[in-house]
Amino acid sequence: MKTTVLAALCGVLAWSAPALAQTIDYDPRRPEVLATCDDHRYRGRPAEARQCYTALLRQARAPFLRAEIMWALGDVQRANDLFRRAVASTDRASHERVRWGRLYLETHQDAEALELFRESLEIDPGDLQAKLGMAHVFARRFEGEARVLIADVLARNDQLVDAHLLAARMSLEEGRPEEAEAALERAMELAADQKLPPLEAYALRAAIERQRGSERRSRRWIDRTLAYNPRYGAVFEQLAYFEIMRRRYREANELLERAVEVQPDLWSAHAELGANRLRLGDLDGGRRSLEIAYSGDPYSATTVNSLRLLDRLDQFEVSTRSVTVPGADQPVETRMRLHRDESRALEPYVAELLAESITTFAQRYDYVPREPVTVELFPDHDDFAVRVAALPGIGLLGVTFGHLVAMDSPAGRAIGDFHWGSTLWHELAHVFTLSITEHRVPRWLSEGVSVFEEWRTGPTPGVTVSPDVIAALDEGRFLPVSELDSGFIRPTYPNQVQVSYLQAGLICLFIDERWGFERLVTLLRRFTRDTTTAEAIEAVFRMEPEEFDEAFVEYVRQRYAPILDDMAGWQRDHQAARQAIAAQRWTDAIEPARRAAERYPEHSGPASPHILLARALDKTGRRAEAIESLRRYRRNGGWQPEALRELAAWLDEAGETAEATEILLSLNYLDPLNAAHHAALGDRLLAAGRAEEALREFQVLLALGPRDEAPARFGMARALRATGDATASRRYLLDALAIAPHYRPAQDLLLQMIEERK
Amino acid sequence: MGAPVRRARAVRRPALAIAAAALLLPGVALCAATHTLIVSGLGGEPEYERRFREQATALAAAARKMSGDPSLVTTLIGSQARADAVREALRSLAEKVGEDDDVLVVLIGHGSFDGEEYRFNLPGPDLTGSQWAALFDALPARRQLIVNATSASGAVAERWRKDNRVVITATKSGGERTATRFAEYWIEAATTPAADLDKDEVVTAAEAFEYASNKVAESFKSAVLLATEHARLEGAGADRFPVARFGVAAIRTTDPALKAMLAERIGIERELAAIRERRDALGEEAYYDELEATLVRLARLQRRIDAHQVAAPTPGGT
Repeated sequence: MKTTVLAALCGVLAWSAPALAQTIDYDPRRPEVLATCDDHRYRGRPAEARQCYTALLRQARAPFLRAEIMWALGDVQRANDLFRRAVASTDRASHERVRWGRLYLETHQDAEALELFRESLEIDPGDLQAKLGMAHVFARRFEGEARVLIADVLARNDQLVDAHLLAARMSLEEGRPEEAEAALERAMELAADQKLPPLEAYALRAAIERQRGSERRSRRWIDRTLAYNPRYGAVFEQLAYFEIMRRRYREANELLERAVEVQPDLWSAHAELGANRLRLGDLDGGRRSLEIAYSGDPYSATTVNSLRLLDRLDQFEVSTRSVTVPGADQPVETRMRLHRDESRALEPYVAELLAESITTFAQRYDYVPREPVTVELFPDHDDFAVRVAALPGIGLLGVTFGHLVAMDSPAGRAIGDFHWGSTLWHELAHVFTLSITEHRVPRWLSEGVSVFEEWRTGPTPGVTVSPDVIAALDEGRFLPVSELDSGFIRPTYPNQVQVSYLQAGLICLFIDERWGFERLVTLLRRFTRDTTTAEAIEAVFRMEPEEFDEAFVEYVRQRYAPILDDMAGWQRDHQAARQAIAAQRWTDAIEPARRAAERYPEHSGPASPHILLARALDKTGRRAEAIESLRRYRRNGGWQPEALRELAAWLDEAGETAEATEILLSLNYLDPLNAAHHAALGDRLLAAGRAEEALREFQVLLALGPRDEAPARFGMARALRATGDATASRRYLLDALAIAPHYRPAQDLLLQMIEERK
Repeated sequence: MGAPVRRARAVRRPALAIAAAALLLPGVALCAATHTLIVSGLGGEPEYERRFREQATALAAAARKMSGDPSLVTTLIGSQARADAVREALRSLAEKVGEDDDVLVVLIGHGSFDGEEYRFNLPGPDLTGSQWAALFDALPARRQLIVNATSASGAVAERWRKDNRVVITATKSGGERTATRFAEYWIEAATTPAADLDKDEVVTAAEAFEYASNKVAESFKSAVLLATEHARLEGAGADRFPVARFGVAAIRTTDPALKAMLAERIGIERELAAIRERRDALGEEAYYDELEATLVRLARLQRRIDAHQVAAPTPGGT
């Protein structure tokens, strides 16, 4: 399929589903007259259901009832029109709005659904189904507000099956199977009393047992589900959903294949199967599934965008490299899928980081990946977002699907917004933690190890902890380790995901400093079997999780004691330094900046006190101390490009050219598409006698297609000459002069070359 | 009062006149004088007023340097740039220039487009695109370069185009209405050798356009912003219209020895152009051999020119 049109509907549904659609309606207000037909549908008797609904339609006059029937028959366009009429007929149509909202929810139009639920609540503030509808929207977005709404709904009415089901689902997503199980018990009890189908409850029970590692018990629930409705593919879809949440994509694939086998018109399962095949690198299979999904449900933006992305994948080039790991039987194969516009410019650096990270992690974690590792870089952030859209709580810089890493390319964001080298390092650490544990590692530990490795071995080594994390620590917002996953999955305050990343990193740092790095590896390896965080902590550290939490909090409180002891004082100093710098009162800035940097050296963000101090010192003629300040900034993981370029320039002026060159080389992992940077770096490396590296810089410069091509070719000529390749050097030199015949430095080299021939 | 008298052009011409063949090459200062008019319109805000004034002043300084004759450069900035003053400046220019002279007009400021007519914002009444076109049409110069660096300037790109005129606009259409960045980079191109791709020490309008439009695109790209302007170039001959000269190319000389060497240089440049055209026919090895031999001659000649310049400096060289 080539470039399909996104079905953005803006309130108009224009599609007729060929199969019986509609999820289970648990609303006690559902018209009784629909019960018989619904039962056929819930029991998996589509022919009987269709016949029943069609007969009912002949008699039904009320737009609302007709809307429900049309929806049940799969004609969402007419259902939409009828709901509109039903709502227009009375200002008090609260229930009608809720059902209309659920139609929008089912057709992926959350904003419209939310609007209708809100309207309904304006009419009837006590409409719990409207609140439930809203909770579904928030739950789908993994927003903490869903929990609040569900708690409110259940406090008002404990009899709502849908509320218990949603609560169970969220608990399971957050890794609390006991809570989920209790909610499901209640849901099944109520469903039986209210003569509602137990299908979703059974499916969730199957998911709980699977998460607990009991295939047999899970299978029993699946059997019960299929006994109730042999066409209920959603049971497998539900199981796959939780496998995907645990990043177990292969297992999810098998389940999704079962889902569409049992229920071939389950378009959402086809869509998920397509997305999952893409995660596993099966592009052809992914496309096939997505096209099937689109044929049945053209409303899914995820499906349409994924198909569009696939149409654009021919713009990407794939290259491969083998990475030799010392002591390993065979090399690790790596694949880089890079956009053709930047492929040749980025490949040397991606390949270098791939090789370095794989050999580093293989040695540290005593594990060698058995499958090829693929890295995809997307210059268009939207393409990257499409590639990863199915994952909740992602940091939106990079995502790892087992052996496949997808991330923004440096072109996808403004320079200084992110350090792509560190991001790639972080993601490649996930490849190891996921592979070692066959994807059983909990989210917090996988993220924690990745952050820890960024600090310890990544391209920007040094512990960096931002002020909002210190504030969270100060306010007691760090989560117990056994609940830390929920900080990623369903955050309850705005920056909780970011805080959770760093808390997880600090836990790994704590383990490393308290027990040694090997204990961290031991903890990771506990997850080679099905276990919980609490069990693993107890087994590895011989202490209760609560005791571990206490020790950890004591550790971080001690680590950050200088700032925690007087947060207000630190903030005053930081603010005073910033204001003095802004007003160019350089001398006034020095002491507060120095105090702020000493008390909180790990603040290495854009307003780092190290940078403030360095600037103030430099402006007051104390360059040597300014250099030291920026060196400390860098040692603490600081990587802002302006600060590093300034440090390199100061080091050059101080005659420390070797260190300046290393800093400029490190900028390749930050700003690799900057032609001027490569030109200057190539010259430096040549002057330093590092011809091979210089050659790489000029190759990258040429690959960037510089507007001013002659100097790039001249650089190639010089670098090749320095490596001893006189023939290639001559060609590049003559090419440079063919473009710019009066280019004096190239003319000089040409005459020198001719002289040498004599 | 008698009819306006066109001034004798000879006094405006630079001293160096080399060979007729060189007319097609921008590499040396030729016989035509370049008359420049720079108009900086209303800023509307202090920041824009300051920016436009600085840009116009920098560009005027570069134009004076290139022409070697300050009287060839007219600048109307801020309150001076009223519609009647602009009309008068262009009328005066029409009287002064001859067919063989070059005319460069640069408009800096804010423009607007209402769907039918472009307007350049000036103190007092604006001048419309049609009014500008009539004023330009009255210029007798066979080579004209009009650089409209204002917002919405793309609205006039085609309307102002003529056989003898290159029109450069900061935007692709009248619909790109945001304040532009183009002028900033055009000035960089006209004041530094950065835009000189072929290193002949002459920045042509084509090179300056490419430089400025690339820089504009890069500035949006590096900030990951949607570009709000896309420059246009209309008309032929931009690659032969110099907007800045440096080094040997800025020399105005009567020294016969130097004149002879510069003429020889032009001859070698033509040989090089011929070799490049015959690349496919020559085959790889022969191409590089011929290229090398010719480039060696050029490099040696350049050394002689440089040595001559050191021994007998020529005014005008930079």
